[in-house]
Amino acid sequence: MTRVKKKSFLIATILTPLIFPALIAVVVYFGSRESGGPENVYVLDQSGFYDEQFTDESYNYTYLTGSLEDAKQQFQDEGAYGLLYIPEINFEDPSKTYYDEFEFYSKSNAGVNIESSFERQLRRVLEQVKLDRSGLDPDMINSLKANVDLNTFNLSDTGEVKESNSGLNLIVGYIFGFMIYMFIFIYGGQIMQSVLDEKTSRIVEVIVSSVRPFQLMMGKVLGIGSVGVTQLLIWVALVTSLTTVGFTFFGPPEAAAMAGSQMPAEAVELTATQESIANIQGMIDSVPVTQIVVSFIFYFLGAYFLYGAMYAAIGSAVDSLQDAQQFMFPIMIPLIVSIVALSIVIQNPDSQLSFWLSMVPFTSPVVMMGRIPFGVPMWELLLSMVLLVLGFIGMIWVAGRIYRVGILMYGVKVNWKTLKVWFTTKV
Amino acid sequence: MNILEAHNVTKNYAAHRALDDVSIEIPKQSIFGLLGPNGAGKTTLIRIINQIIMSDAGNITINGEKLEPKHIQVIGYLPEERGLYKKMKVGEQLMYLAQLKGLSNAEARKRIKHWLDRMGLSEWAGKKVEDLSKGMAQKIQFIATVLHEPELLILDEPFSGFDPVNANLIKDEIFELRDKGATVIFSTHRMESVEQLCDDIVLINKSKKILDGTKSEIKKSFKSGKYNVTYKGAMAGLSTNFDLVETKEIEDGMSESLIQAQGDHNPNDLIKELISRVEVHSFVEVIPSINDIFIQIVEGGES
Repeated sequence: MTRVKKKSFLIATILTPLIFPALIAVVVYFGSRESGGPENVYVLDQSGFYDEQFTDESYNYTYLTGSLEDAKQQFQDEGAYGLLYIPEINFEDPSKTYYDEFEFYSKSNAGVNIESSFERQLRRVLEQVKLDRSGLDPDMINSLKANVDLNTFNLSDTGEVKESNSGLNLIVGYIFGFMIYMFIFIYGGQIMQSVLDEKTSRIVEVIVSSVRPFQLMMGKVLGIGSVGVTQLLIWVALVTSLTTVGFTFFGPPEAAAMAGSQMPAEAVELTATQESIANIQGMIDSVPVTQIVVSFIFYFLGAYFLYGAMYAAIGSAVDSLQDAQQFMFPIMIPLIVSIVALSIVIQNPDSQLSFWLSMVPFTSPVVMMGRIPFGVPMWELLLSMVLLVLGFIGMIWVAGRIYRVGILMYGVKVNWKTLKVWFTTKV
Repeated sequence: MNILEAHNVTKNYAAHRALDDVSIEIPKQSIFGLLGPNGAGKTTLIRIINQIIMSDAGNITINGEKLEPKHIQVIGYLPEERGLYKKMKVGEQLMYLAQLKGLSNAEARKRIKHWLDRMGLSEWAGKKVEDLSKGMAQKIQFIATVLHEPELLILDEPFSGFDPVNANLIKDEIFELRDKGATVIFSTHRMESVEQLCDDIVLINKSKKILDGTKSEIKKSFKSGKYNVTYKGAMAGLSTNFDLVETKEIEDGMSESLIQAQGDHNPNDLIKELISRVEVHSFVEVIPSINDIFIQIVEGGES
C-alpha cells in the first residue's frame, strides 16, 4: 500500500515506458537532423561520370571544377558540410573491382551513415558505367539474381502438416521466458525488502496481533504481485501506444527516404522484405497464440508465487539486507540456470535437458515458455503445470512456517540450520 | 468478573521452557501489572494472549469465552519494541491499523481526528512518521493501540521513550481508559510506575509465576512488622516483645530508631510502650515497596 503511494513508484510507472519511445524519438530526431538538414556538400568530380548524379535529398550538392587544392580552399572559406573528391577513374581494366580513390572531407567526423550513403551512391554510378561498358543487358542481370525463403513445416504423428517458423518461435519463447525471469527478479526483491522493512521497523508485531502471520505474508506476496502486474500492463500499454504514435510521426518518412535512396541497387532485397512482411500473418498463425498466452499467465503466476514465497521467507528470517545475501544465492541459482538454459532450450526444444528443466518447478516456468512456441505434448505441459502448482503450494507452506517465527526473531544468527529449526517449531 | 483468565499455560521453545504452568486472573476494569525481570516470559505470555503464538498447553478465556481469532478486536496491543511504517503518513497509518482491527472508514476517521486533537498532534496528520520526533511517534503508536476502544489493553513497557511530561499524559490516559471500562495489562520491570498505577499484580520469574494478588494484599503479606520512630529522650528497656534494630541520632536532640515487632504484636502495643518512655514525634510502619519485594523475590530465587 505504501509502495503504491510512493512518488518514486508513480514516476517509475509512468517514466519507464516513456524512456523507450523517448529514446527512439531522440534517435530519430537527431538522425533526421543529421540527414535531413539541407547541408551543403561540394562535389569535385574529375572523372566526368558523376555530374548531377547525386540525388540524395539530404544535401545540397554543388559541383565544383578545378584542382583539389582550390576546392579545399573554397570548402574552408564557405563553410560547407563536406567536400567529396572524385578523381579520374580508370575503367579500362574490367577486372578492377576495388576502388579506393574517393575522398571525403568534412569539418567534423563523418558518421557511418553518411559514409555508407556516399559509398552507395558512388558504387551505383560505378556499377552503371561498368554495366554499360560490358554491353550486357541490365534486365538479364536482374533476372540472374535469386532470393530464397525456405518454408519449414512440422509433420505431426497423425500426418498433419503445420507450417513452422523457428525464427519467430525462438523470439517469442525467449521474450516470454525472459519476462518471467525479470519479473521474479524485480518483484521478488521487493517482497523481500518489504518484509524486511516491516520487521526492522518493528511494526510487524502490531500487525500480527491483528492478522495471522500467514495472511500477512500472502497479502504481501499478492499485493506486490498485483502492483507488479498492473505496472507491467501499464508499461505494455504505454510502450505499444507510444511506439505506434512515434512510428506514425517519425517512422514512415524516414523509411521512405531510406527506401528511395536504396531503390535501384537493392530493389530485389526490398521486394524480399515485402514478401516476408506478407508472410508474417502466416507465421503468427503457425504459433499457438492462445496456448502461449494461457500458459504464460499460468507459469508467470506460478513462478511468482513459488519464488515470492521464498523471498518472503528470507526477508522474515534476516535482520538486514547484508544477511540476506547468503540466502539470495541459492534462490538465484535456479533462476540463472533457467535463463541460461533458455537459450539452449530454444535451440533444441525437445532434448532431454529441455524436458527435465521444464518439469522441475524451479526452472519450469522460464524453460517451458521457451518450449511452448515450438509445440509441447499436452501431457508434458499438464505434468509440468501440476508439478509447478504442487511446488508453489509446498513452498508457500514451508515459507509460511519460517515466516511466522522469523518475523519475531531479532539478533539471531540465521543459517540453514536455524531455518530448519524454525520450520519444525510449533508456534 | 474476570476479563481474562489463563489456566496452566505452558510454552516451550526449542531449547528452553518460556512459560511453565502459569495461571493468571485479571479482573475487569483493573490495571494489572505483569512484572518480572528480563527474559522471565512476560512477552511470551503477552504474545500468547495476542494469538501471535500458540501455547503448548493450558487454555485462555476472554470474558469467559475460549480465546479465538475474533478476540483480536477486543485487544489493543502496544509492543515493547515500537515501530510504524516510516514512509507512511501519520493519518493514513492510523487509518490502516484501525481498519485492520475492523473499524469502518468513517468511524476510524472520526476517532483519529479526536485522538490527534487530544494529543496535540493534529497538524502532523499529513506528515510522514520518519519526520516525527521519537516522543511523537510513541504517542501515535499509543493512539493506534487504543483507536478501536479495546476492552483489554496490553501495554508492554508503555513509558519507555517518553519524557516525564508525556509519560504523565499517557498515565492519565490510561487511568481515564480504565475509568471508561477498559482493563489494562501493564507489563514492566520499572516498579515505580507499578506503585502508581496497578491494582493487581503478578510476578513472573524464570518462566514461573512467583506471586500474584492485589497490590495492597501483597504489600501486607510482605511487611515484616518493622516500625520507624523518631523521638526525644532515651530509648531503653523495651519489653521482649520488641527488638531495637538500630538507632541513630538526628538533629535537635532527636533520635530515630527502627524497631522490629515480635510475634503478632500490633502497632498499638508498641505505641503504649513508647509513650511511657520517650516523646514520640513520628511513628511509621515500614511497608516494603513493590521494588523491594521484587528484588527480594528475584534475588531469593537466584540463591
